[in-house]
Amino acid sequence: MKFPMDVGKDCARAWEIMPWTLQGSAPQAQDEWLTRHLVECESCRTEFAQQQRLRRAVALPPDIAVDADAGLRHLLARIDAPDIQETSPRSRTSWTMRALVAAVLVQALGIGVLGARLWSESQHPAYRTLSQPSLPAPQGAIHVVPDEAMKLADWNALLHSLRLRVVGGPNDVGAYTVVPAADTAAPDDTLRKLRAAHGIRLAEPVATAP
Amino acid sequence: MNDADIDADATDRMLLQRMSGGDRAALAVLYRSYHGRLVRFLSRLTRRADVIEEVINDCFWIAWQKASGFHGDSRVSTWIFGIAYRCGLKTLRQHGDEPVEDDGREDRMPSHDPGEDRELRDWLAKGLKHLSADQRVVVELVYGLGHTLEDVAVIMQCPVGTVKARLFHARVKLRNTLPALAGEPPLQKEKTP
Repeated sequence: MKFPMDVGKDCARAWEIMPWTLQGSAPQAQDEWLTRHLVECESCRTEFAQQQRLRRAVALPPDIAVDADAGLRHLLARIDAPDIQETSPRSRTSWTMRALVAAVLVQALGIGVLGARLWSESQHPAYRTLSQPSLPAPQGAIHVVPDEAMKLADWNALLHSLRLRVVGGPNDVGAYTVVPAADTAAPDDTLRKLRAAHGIRLAEPVATAP
Repeated sequence: MNDADIDADATDRMLLQRMSGGDRAALAVLYRSYHGRLVRFLSRLTRRADVIEEVINDCFWIAWQKASGFHGDSRVSTWIFGIAYRCGLKTLRQHGDEPVEDDGREDRMPSHDPGEDRELRDWLAKGLKHLSADQRVVVELVYGLGHTLEDVAVIMQCPVGTVKARLFHARVKLRNTLPALAGEPPLQKEKTP
């Protein structure tokens, strides 16, 4: 027998069958075929003899001394004392589980608080995007366009004298939105004074939604 | 599976059934029945007697706990050797050992082998040292314990094709390295496929 891969099919087949014939698990027909082949093939006879020897060698009793009685005693002792050896991993697992559950709860709580806070802020956003609709103008709001040459001190003095407060602007055309203080005189009077003031190009009441 | 195997498996199943009911005597019988085979099987993975005992006890600890879960999908021996194989690999990883590392301790049996057995043992050792751990395990399971390819695949949790390949390469290596019979030189080396 040269080698199962590069010789005739019979030797390859013999190579495949040998372990199972040695085990006694090969079908009888295969055993008989192998016997006939071994008669004809010296190389496979040598290989089969080697395989028989291998099987005998592998089947020898172990050469390492391991005391079965001592091992069994240790095993029974382990079974008798499960709390010491076997429950500790379980309790470790249990504590790990508890810690994980606690962590998840804390996380959920945190997410809840954060969500509530964000929701609350969204009711009164600190900023507004251009795509968002304009906020409704407060009652009595007036759009005022000061002249470009108007000094800041004059603008501030005018607002102060009329008790106005800027709540928006300037927009694209330079208009500010101002609202009078709560105890200010009639809005019409304020509007008239604004229009008459030096440096004010435009003063118009903001149309409120119907 | 021959008649003897069928009888042995029936006995093992009966013992497992009793173990599932907490019968320690049944455990002891099964333990003693498998001890020698497991020692030899595990000796293909490690030469340390203490590790072998540890693995056998881990194996039977699991068998004791899971006896009621054995549904008979395989032979009891296939089930037990599968557990032992996995416990063996796990224990070796925990010990940080390479399979079949000998720590130099004399755990070997006193040398009372007849001459032929000793010669066979030495002959085999020369061949096995050239094999990987998985190849040694396959050789033990097929030649030593008489398992089929399908059984070995179940034990090692791999496809049958993988077992066939391991067995094939193990045989080629052994053929190329083992001294031939009666003082003949090793068979001429062949290329591996």
